Amino acid sequence: MAKWGMVFDLRRCIGCNACAVACKQENSLPDGVFFTKTLSEEVGEYPDVTRSYVPTICNHCEDAPCERACPTGATYTRPDGIVMVDRNKCIGCGTCIVACPYDQRTRLEPEMLKEGLFGGGRMTPFEEQGIGRFTVGTVVKCTFCHERVDAGQLPACVATCPTEARIFGDLDDPTSRPRQLILERRGRQPLPEKNTNPRVFYID
Amino acid sequence: METLTQPVQNSMKPGKWLNSSCKMCIHSCTTRIHVTEDGVINKIEGNPTSPSNNGRLCPKGNAAILRHYDPARFRTPLRRTNPEKGPGVDPKWAPIGWDEALDLVGRELRKTLEEDPRKLMPAINDFQKLFLWAWPAALGNANYLSSVGNFCGGGYHPMNGFIHAAFAAANDVNYCNYWINNGGGDGFSSHLHTAAQANHVAKARVERNMRVVVVEPRLSIGAAKANEWVPIRPATDRQFALGLAHVLVAEKLYDAKFLKKDTNAPYLVGPDGYFVRNGEGRIYVWDAVDNCARLWDDPEIKEVALEGTYTVEGKPCRPAFQKFKDILAECSPEQMETLTTVPAATTRRIAREFAKAAQIGSFIEIDGRMLPLRPAAYNYYRGAQGHKYSAMANHAFKLVNFLVGGIDAPGGHVGVTLDDQMQDIRGGCGQIQPGENGMMQTMPHQLHPEVPFSWPPNETHLMGFFPIGVDPGHLTQHTLANAEKFGLDYRPDTLLMCHSNPLWNLPGDREQWYALLRSMRFIVAVDILPNESNEWADVILPSHDLLESWNMTMIEPPHHEGMCLRQPATPPLYDTKSEEEIFYEISERLGLLETWNGILNFVNGFHQKPELLLEPNRKYSDREIAERKGKLWNGQDLDWYVEHGHAVTPRRPDKWYRPWDGMRLHFYLEDIVRARDTLRQKMEAADVPFRHEWEWGDYQPLPTAVPDPVHLEPADFDLYAITFKDIQINFGESIGNPWINDIVFKDPVHTAVLLNPKTARERRLDEGDIVRIESPYGSIVAKIGLSEGVHPDAVCVSNALTRVATQNTGVRHGGGNFNQLLPANLRHTDACSGQPETVAKVRLTKLASVPAEIAAGNSVFSKGRAH
Repeated sequence: MAKWGMVFDLRRCIGCNACAVACKQENSLPDGVFFTKTLSEEVGEYPDVTRSYVPTICNHCEDAPCERACPTGATYTRPDGIVMVDRNKCIGCGTCIVACPYDQRTRLEPEMLKEGLFGGGRMTPFEEQGIGRFTVGTVVKCTFCHERVDAGQLPACVATCPTEARIFGDLDDPTSRPRQLILERRGRQPLPEKNTNPRVFYID
Repeated sequence: METLTQPVQNSMKPGKWLNSSCKMCIHSCTTRIHVTEDGVINKIEGNPTSPSNNGRLCPKGNAAILRHYDPARFRTPLRRTNPEKGPGVDPKWAPIGWDEALDLVGRELRKTLEEDPRKLMPAINDFQKLFLWAWPAALGNANYLSSVGNFCGGGYHPMNGFIHAAFAAANDVNYCNYWINNGGGDGFSSHLHTAAQANHVAKARVERNMRVVVVEPRLSIGAAKANEWVPIRPATDRQFALGLAHVLVAEKLYDAKFLKKDTNAPYLVGPDGYFVRNGEGRIYVWDAVDNCARLWDDPEIKEVALEGTYTVEGKPCRPAFQKFKDILAECSPEQMETLTTVPAATTRRIAREFAKAAQIGSFIEIDGRMLPLRPAAYNYYRGAQGHKYSAMANHAFKLVNFLVGGIDAPGGHVGVTLDDQMQDIRGGCGQIQPGENGMMQTMPHQLHPEVPFSWPPNETHLMGFFPIGVDPGHLTQHTLANAEKFGLDYRPDTLLMCHSNPLWNLPGDREQWYALLRSMRFIVAVDILPNESNEWADVILPSHDLLESWNMTMIEPPHHEGMCLRQPATPPLYDTKSEEEIFYEISERLGLLETWNGILNFVNGFHQKPELLLEPNRKYSDREIAERKGKLWNGQDLDWYVEHGHAVTPRRPDKWYRPWDGMRLHFYLEDIVRARDTLRQKMEAADVPFRHEWEWGDYQPLPTAVPDPVHLEPADFDLYAITFKDIQINFGESIGNPWINDIVFKDPVHTAVLLNPKTARERRLDEGDIVRIESPYGSIVAKIGLSEGVHPDAVCVSNALTRVATQNTGVRHGGGNFNQLLPANLRHTDACSGQPETVAKVRLTKLASVPAEIAAGNSVFSKGRAH
């Protein structure tokens, strides 16, 4: 079975956050909630300065601290490595939010599901058809677009990325594009000192 | 494990996919739209079958659903009930029926036209339905109120017409190895088909190690991704380019063969600025071997001279190249550094790297045709060219590309047509025409045919005085404020807007614009969402949006061509109509149906295939117009386009690379001299009173290093304010879309006005301070954000901070519109191209707090909802 993972090519990423918006439309995320976003940071002093764009996402860690911390078993890892949250088991205790070293989990507060994207509680037909997947008080995060992946498609953020900075594939397959890139360009995992063994790698 | 009965991801839900095209900016990336079984649009993706955007979409394209479902949309025709008009004043709209609305509009427009057609000012700005721009021609009216085209590209578009007979230009990503971006975001954040271009440029950068050098006052996205960011003082880009040209010429790093054979650089120029001609009007060159003058096409010529001073036909003369070399004597990198602040050593190094990368002398075979390979190109746009001497600026950038032989060469700087079907205008395929003396005919008019000179002027923006420019809509403010001086014997009192927001995009004093709008007897707006301008309308005619209508377009695709289909994904959500239907209905009420169909046949190119011609007295739907445009492109009917979505292919090399082979390009622009003198004669003959203060110096056949007048503002305005967009807000209104707001207002680049920390310290300013930014022409309020990625002389204002409060409260307003810092007058307008200056000299004054009237409502200074 495949073990899904993602590589972020920092040379390609232009920080446009098309990924974040594609994710929002694919997953009907409430205002202010992100499953992925690209951060930017200025580095250096004028005139020797640049800005780095760093995409972030749930790293679907092989040794996921969120899963270990979850008291109800709501967070679990699928056989293909995708870390999921079962909203029927999640009690919203927030332990996983604290446990995640990558700040990738969000608890759905009542106003998030009530306000609507345009505010004032007005729900558009788009929101009405999508918001039902969420339960107030539960914790949500990126699922690598598991339904798309199960259907043989790419996660929405990967499919839309204008610069192809997100490379998705089977990390167990030595011929897969992400594996090759990790090898060729010395992929690094985020916060390796946390010993979480993320399935997300950065190359630059 | 959770058991799912229904998919939760939108694209996986039961439903259907439809092929269409994006319109969240002016360009047309192809899309596929997912519609649920209940008829709700719940996902839009790029169409992977297009070789242009390769299935990719930018953040704006990804946010189209929320424009469609925006509760602020106009839902029915509306009539104003509040007679008071003003910024932020509630029009108190009353819904009316279409018949009533169209009858009302027809009646009011007819009244205006019967009094004086010049009293109607159109502002029609839908770039994907360019044929609508021609509607005023049915009235014989060219009195355009808007700043679309000239604000970003006043000098850019005519210069592309002069050099390539095209509307835009791009660096050829297929082969380029050294990519200079100067004040333009191509390949990173803005301009031509952003998602597509970012895709191809990223591949070139990462897979081919294409070197990118970005010259800009601010560390843009492109600069952040570049191998090298060259910070530059605002409004000195032309001088930087001339510094590069100085090095290329002084060190003989130029393509002499190209200049001699494919350009007019060897043509001899006399003291009057015209080429030296014989009695039959044929131009001389100098034969350097036989040391004598010969006609340019004399088969006896052994070697044409690029340099030297000669006397021919009794006139002292020099080759055009020598004239440029003379100018460049004053443009050493050291001299230019005093203006640009770019270290001379940097300019010299970049010039040498650029020339080396250009591989002068190399060739490549493409489709059996041997072409010069020049994999180095200088790209530029709004920030670099948006200055008073814009024609000169654009020419300077072109000349850097000329010198290495890169014009329309693989890897070089290539022309981009706007819409190939419009043969006779807008860069269509019929544009490459032989001109006189072996040269290609120049085509500066890309948006409409030349507007004839008239005195008194028929156009309040004086378009008849800009024979080679783009409509300077902003000048209407200046001329109406000085109506007597400009000989205006009428006063416009009617405004027709279509997808246009002139109050946002025009430079100049806001109060004067407000007074102008207050003086309108009648304003009608065709639009989708409320904005700064349509809030002043008397009648709103609501149009379908991009997910409810038919269209067929290809608009400025840099490396690809072919029609892109737009089709309705749902029936209209509200009681709206297509623009086609709206203009047909108005035309019918004005008795102009036949005329309008005739114009549509011409601008859409239907006259090229008689079976596509629109009949004179019929009204056609958006679907019928779209089908004809598709058929004209490739003969396929609408069913074929519905199935395939588009006809996008890579540009055909024969049209893309050197389509003018065998003709000479205009290194030297004698046509500018001729346009100046012709205009001067007309102004003399008409005894135009302001002819002596007309900016005659703006018409130059070759660019010089004269500083733009913005540098001559009073010394206490000690900084340069610029505005910028990024990919999230590229082209048009995006702020107000919740997803765009959600990413833009989390980005430090867009939440405060950026200032270099050293500059701030010198002025005792700090992060978060509130300041008034004041130019000689107006002021805005801003919060300061410190950034090392800012030139010390620059104040950088994100376009996200420049909206003004309206009834559309989802649009977060900033501390005033940046454009009110800019003048709308002749002194700061390029007389040659119509380009207004887009940089303002400013001074900063610290305020105790945000003024209450600005802080009120959904302002960028408040925390904002959930942001």
